[in-house]
Amino acid sequence: MSFKKMNFLLEWKKIKRTGFFAAFLAGGILAGAFPVINTAVRTEMFISSPGSPAAILMSANYQTMAMLSLLLLTAGACILYHIEYADNGIQKMQSLPIRESGLFFGKFFLLLPAFFLMFCIQCAAMIFCGLHWLDPAAASEGELFHCLELVRCFGFAFLLTLPAALLLLFLSSLCRNMWIMLGIGILGIFLGTMLPSDSFAASLFPFAMPFQTLPGMEEDLVIRYIIAAVSETAFIGIIEIICIRIRRLFA
Amino acid sequence: MNIIETKNLTKTYADFTAVSHLNLHVPKGSVYGFVGPHGAGKSTTMKMFLGLTRPTDGTFVIDRKSYPHNRVKILKEIGSFIESPAFYGNLTGEENLDIIRRILGLPKSSVSDALELVGLTQYRKRLAKKYSLGMKQRLGLAGALIGRPPILILDEPTNGLDPVGIHEIRTLIRSLPEQFDCTVFVSSHLLSEIELMADNIGILNHGRLLFEGTLEDLKEKAAVQGYPTDNLEDTFLALIEDDNIRRGEKR
Repeated sequence: MSFKKMNFLLEWKKIKRTGFFAAFLAGGILAGAFPVINTAVRTEMFISSPGSPAAILMSANYQTMAMLSLLLLTAGACILYHIEYADNGIQKMQSLPIRESGLFFGKFFLLLPAFFLMFCIQCAAMIFCGLHWLDPAAASEGELFHCLELVRCFGFAFLLTLPAALLLLFLSSLCRNMWIMLGIGILGIFLGTMLPSDSFAASLFPFAMPFQTLPGMEEDLVIRYIIAAVSETAFIGIIEIICIRIRRLFA
Repeated sequence: MNIIETKNLTKTYADFTAVSHLNLHVPKGSVYGFVGPHGAGKSTTMKMFLGLTRPTDGTFVIDRKSYPHNRVKILKEIGSFIESPAFYGNLTGEENLDIIRRILGLPKSSVSDALELVGLTQYRKRLAKKYSLGMKQRLGLAGALIGRPPILILDEPTNGLDPVGIHEIRTLIRSLPEQFDCTVFVSSHLLSEIELMADNIGILNHGRLLFEGTLEDLKEKAAVQGYPTDNLEDTFLALIEDDNIRRGEKR
């Protein structure tokens, strides 16, 4: 069995009875319910708005959904390391022949499908809104153009959320006390919402990037955001590896 | 042949020296009792062997493998139990051991084998967080014994056990070298306990090794130096007291 697969399986086994996936499922449904209720209540206003159904739905709902996603990621990261610190399980892991970086990335690869599931639910809810209220004619003709646009939007949002997910996990690995981590995570999210949205540099803050939406964004900027997201994810991963080595040096 | 050897092993924290120029020689296939009062540096030494704490100075070799270059290789040969039991409270005793089994690449039967060895079979389906202190201690021991490693490092393994449990674990430790062809490095702050299971002992006080050898050697040394010899506990206390006086730390 490959090293990565084994780490993933180990982490999968460890999260039993923590409610980790149930939390993401419930969070995904909650975030998905938001556009459904919002569109149902304000259908006329949305229909009269200019732009494609995807653009209307994203601009009307995505900021709140992104906030919910980040809060859920914070909770998820807390759970993943709380199980290690609560009864000192991490000390047992450190005294076994495995690398601590493997443990961290095993947790990250567990966090990924969880928040992918959440994004899928959110995306499905948006597609439903688009087909049911904003573009029923396209739905009856089997027109999938708007659906694909929404899938692209969520794919882009997923990519832009990766640095925040890894950063939250990194912070969680540093905090033995889950509540401290939870506080830091929430502060980071609120800081992300307060940063000026028209500044590209400020929007590169990992907690601000998930609030950027694809509709209306210039192609050049899209590419710059994708490069930034991938670079930040790689950078945080490298920082974690360095941190593990430093902690070992000063243990 | 010595399976564990240290050379001037030292660990300092700021201006406090936890372990000072320690030269240990643990013969292969023996039970080595590491005795000393609380805060003598026993756990720190054991943590250094497991790579949980980095030595400030000096070196050690375990089964001809040096630290830190062969950290993972060393850990493959060691079963350990340090200070308080380390486990995942959200998992059952059996699931906890299964995590360790997967990391060590052992067959499934090794879990039930380890549970049987420490007398936890009937409680294997109970959540580890609901275990009593004694059961947690036994689970920690099972985690060390699983896969029958050639070297066992046990830090005060009878802490929290009732008299019957102490007797059982003591008998088990005594029988391990013969049963599984392994070496046991066990610590305690009670010489009376160690003398019932160890072939060789090392006495540590304030991070310094006061004595190393067999129990017979200790009795001989005590007689020569005028310490009480009727009761080994008295010998131990006199040795420690004398060292404290010499260090000018008598209160």
